[in-house]
Amino acid sequence: MTELERPDNMQQLVTEIAKALVDDPSAVVVEAQEGDESTVLRLHVAPTDVGKVIGKQGRTARSMRTILGAVSMKHHHRYTLDIIEEDRSEKE
Amino acid sequence: MPIEDYRGAAEKIASLLKTLTTLGGLRLKYRITAGAGAADPDGLEAREIYVEMAGPDAGLLTQRGGELLRALEHVAAKMIRLENEEHDKISFDANNFKALRAQELKLAAQTAADKVRETGQPYCFAPMSSRERRMLHLAFRGFEDIETSSSGEGLQRFVVAYPEGYDQRKFRPAPQAMARGRRR
Repeated sequence: MTELERPDNMQQLVTEIAKALVDDPSAVVVEAQEGDESTVLRLHVAPTDVGKVIGKQGRTARSMRTILGAVSMKHHHRYTLDIIEEDRSEKE
Repeated sequence: MPIEDYRGAAEKIASLLKTLTTLGGLRLKYRITAGAGAADPDGLEAREIYVEMAGPDAGLLTQRGGELLRALEHVAAKMIRLENEEHDKISFDANNFKALRAQELKLAAQTAADKVRETGQPYCFAPMSSRERRMLHLAFRGFEDIETSSSGEGLQRFVVAYPEGYDQRKFRPAPQAMARGRRR
């Protein structure tokens, strides 16, 4: 089960979900920033796709965070999601 | 308009679930039904694609009022490019959650109807998702002397039950506090 705890799996999970949501899957990049108690996953998408991963009233971003939250519980490690915009750091 | 490509939609949903069970490590089994076979026998859900999940981790899906089920429904609907008003066509379920919730809403409608009749005053529900509001409106179909409408915006939108013929303009609806353990 140690394989499950590797953060690159979570990085891959967010990548897969984001790729299915956007128009330009080739621009999807997820970086992992390891912290002591949690890992921040930073999602980059094409500028025209930022709205797609955030969603109306932030609903798509919130749904992805809920999914990540459930998986975090399962892995006993917290993963958080940041959506990166080129100009501003995060918009919701 | 029905979903055009059931096979393509089901494949996208299967791949989302596969991501959760492999990379995410969630122990879930699932069955995806699309088309006529997916219809809700009680007619409360407008679903065309029905995803039933089971397995050791199915309990995670129904926690906090089914928050994870709703999240999966939303992400799946976006993946198959449904318009917002078409999101109800996809339904995710686990441990019979949808049917139990429909039953709860039916009881809640009955209790509210009794209260409205007794007091002659409108009754405001707690905020709910659009699907649950729809189920609640439908649950009032049997009560001819009660009218329902929704008030509030976005996540705070809630159903109000009025006595028949009540002048809705003279009432300022405020939602019930959310029930314990339910978060959106």
